[in-house]
Amino acid sequence: MSYFFQLVVSGVVVGSIYALSALGFVLIYKSSRVLNIAHGQFIAAGAFITYALTVWAGIPIYVSFIISMVLTFFLAMSVERVFLRRLIGEPIISVIMVTIGLMSILDGLIYLTPFGSENFSFPAFLPTTPIAVAGVSISWTQMVGVVTTFALIAGFTWFFKKSTVGISMRAVSDDQLAAMSIGISVPRVFGLAWAMAGLSAAAAGAIIGNITGLNFDTLHAFGIVVFPVVILGGLDSILGAVVAGIIMGLIQQFASGYLDGHWGLNGTGEVMPYIVLLVILLFKPHGLFGIHEIERV
Amino acid sequence: MSSNRWLATGNYFTSYQQEQRIFFTSLDRTAMLLFIFGLFIWPFFIHAGNKHMLIIDNILVAVIAVMGLNLVTGFAGLISIGHAAFVGIGAYTIASFARVLGDSHVLLTHAWPLMILLAGGMGAIFGAIVGLPALRLKHLYLAIATLSFQMIFQWVINFMDFFNQGQTISVGRVAWITGQVTRKEHYLFWYYAILVVAVLLGFAVRNLLRTRYGRCLVAVRDNDRAADAMGMHPGFTKVYAFALAGFLAGVAGALHAFLYRGVGVESFTLHHSISYLAMAIVGGLGTLPGSFLGPLAIKVLEMQVEQLSEWASAHLTFAANLATALKPLSFGLVIVLFLMFEPRGIANWWRIVRSYVKLWPFRY
Repeated sequence: MSYFFQLVVSGVVVGSIYALSALGFVLIYKSSRVLNIAHGQFIAAGAFITYALTVWAGIPIYVSFIISMVLTFFLAMSVERVFLRRLIGEPIISVIMVTIGLMSILDGLIYLTPFGSENFSFPAFLPTTPIAVAGVSISWTQMVGVVTTFALIAGFTWFFKKSTVGISMRAVSDDQLAAMSIGISVPRVFGLAWAMAGLSAAAAGAIIGNITGLNFDTLHAFGIVVFPVVILGGLDSILGAVVAGIIMGLIQQFASGYLDGHWGLNGTGEVMPYIVLLVILLFKPHGLFGIHEIERV
Repeated sequence: MSSNRWLATGNYFTSYQQEQRIFFTSLDRTAMLLFIFGLFIWPFFIHAGNKHMLIIDNILVAVIAVMGLNLVTGFAGLISIGHAAFVGIGAYTIASFARVLGDSHVLLTHAWPLMILLAGGMGAIFGAIVGLPALRLKHLYLAIATLSFQMIFQWVINFMDFFNQGQTISVGRVAWITGQVTRKEHYLFWYYAILVVAVLLGFAVRNLLRTRYGRCLVAVRDNDRAADAMGMHPGFTKVYAFALAGFLAGVAGALHAFLYRGVGVESFTLHHSISYLAMAIVGGLGTLPGSFLGPLAIKVLEMQVEQLSEWASAHLTFAANLATALKPLSFGLVIVLFLMFEPRGIANWWRIVRSYVKLWPFRY
């Protein structure tokens, strides 16, 4: 039984990071209807900037965490300004392809740095003995990661519910024309959505980097596993992203915990999200919390 | 066409049949036939080494795969981020036969044209399965479905013993009328084999696009409700587009397997899917000449990038992983720049040149 609870705990840890990664993705989709395929690269960039600031520049990790969020905020904003602003009004297919190209460009830029080929791990700054309760153990890094994640998600929720900027972003996602007519600058909101997505991606990246170590392939995979999460959650719902993130983390941990090693299966945790994704697409394509606006064609 | 079309000031079609012709003048047809003839005979005059022959063969395989991608993404307007996985399905069809029957079984060495067709069929089946969500969904979701197919494919190959866990599975040398194809003439032999397949499929696709079965793809892309009102079933048309793309990809994969005499998962990863997309975009989505020009341009670019990074790593000390970095960087830049400045691709330049020549001495 303690094995089961151990899986639940690690599922929630992984799931909350998925939730944070998916959050940024949903922000962009919600405001500008763009599928950002390059999201994993922003996650990786955030993690690498945090590492570079902490280890190479010697800044305390809490400060460098915040600096990397700020830097990625501006990185994502400038990406939107340079590449996506001029594609407003183009068919959605070319906008998605631009993000695919963007993914490739950022990949290339990351391969230019040492992070592309080597593995790094953050210096331990928390106690290394795990917290153990009734046979279930969780490391301090994971604990702090989960707490930070939920704090950030709560912060984002507050931002969208209460602040003027957040409300204007929701207005744009609801009806662009109406939003424009009451004086909201829609392109600015798009830029802001990308910037916020970059910020949350950087936070997710730094947390993943602390928990699993810095490996470009792993961080890259987080950007792609976001797709099953957002589809399960319903593409344009922030609550959906959070709930689906945790569900997906649990599914993944249970799959690798109970299926691996039996019937010659291996690495099921990696593939399970995509199988779930295909099943959802076939039977409940608007996800758990999505708006039922998909038309049958 | 009675009068000389090269002197005409515009298109004077009087029936739809005239507009749908493949060759508008006999000069067009002669030029095309001469061009294809040239493709067949140049190896007799110019001796290309195995290294160059392999590159040319690679381009032709990519042409076949990109024709498929162009059908589904260009003509039917459905983004596929998993095209390399469909190519992989074709290659692994051959590989599974080699695995079960041994790599020099008579089916592989003598009945290889049949095996290529079978691989295409497998590709079509998987294409249709992945396209099934199209019955309910629009393109955004389909892009994600193809992406997840790519991931599932990579996992299945990487973790199953039957597929040698992604390591190379070798495929034997094939036989021809003159006996077994030797090591020396391997690439030349496959140049001709792939060229024949590419020309046949090129004409097949060109003709398909003139019939109702090809035109329905474009109709569904442009306006699916109008297409529905005209009596087409948009959902089934999309599934059918995926199946067609899967067929061409499967054929390309089988040719890839025979050409390299082995199949490994590293040729069918997400990066390859993206480079197929880059080829289709650079060539020009929704144009048939684009499917030929795109792979050519991208492969040439790839070669240049490789040379550049070789030169750089010889002359610069820090350029350790410049080779891995420059490739995705240049691909990404090419995709983004083409989408931003020339969304209709190189095929559009070809069109401009043609109309310039046609209208000369008047300005284009």
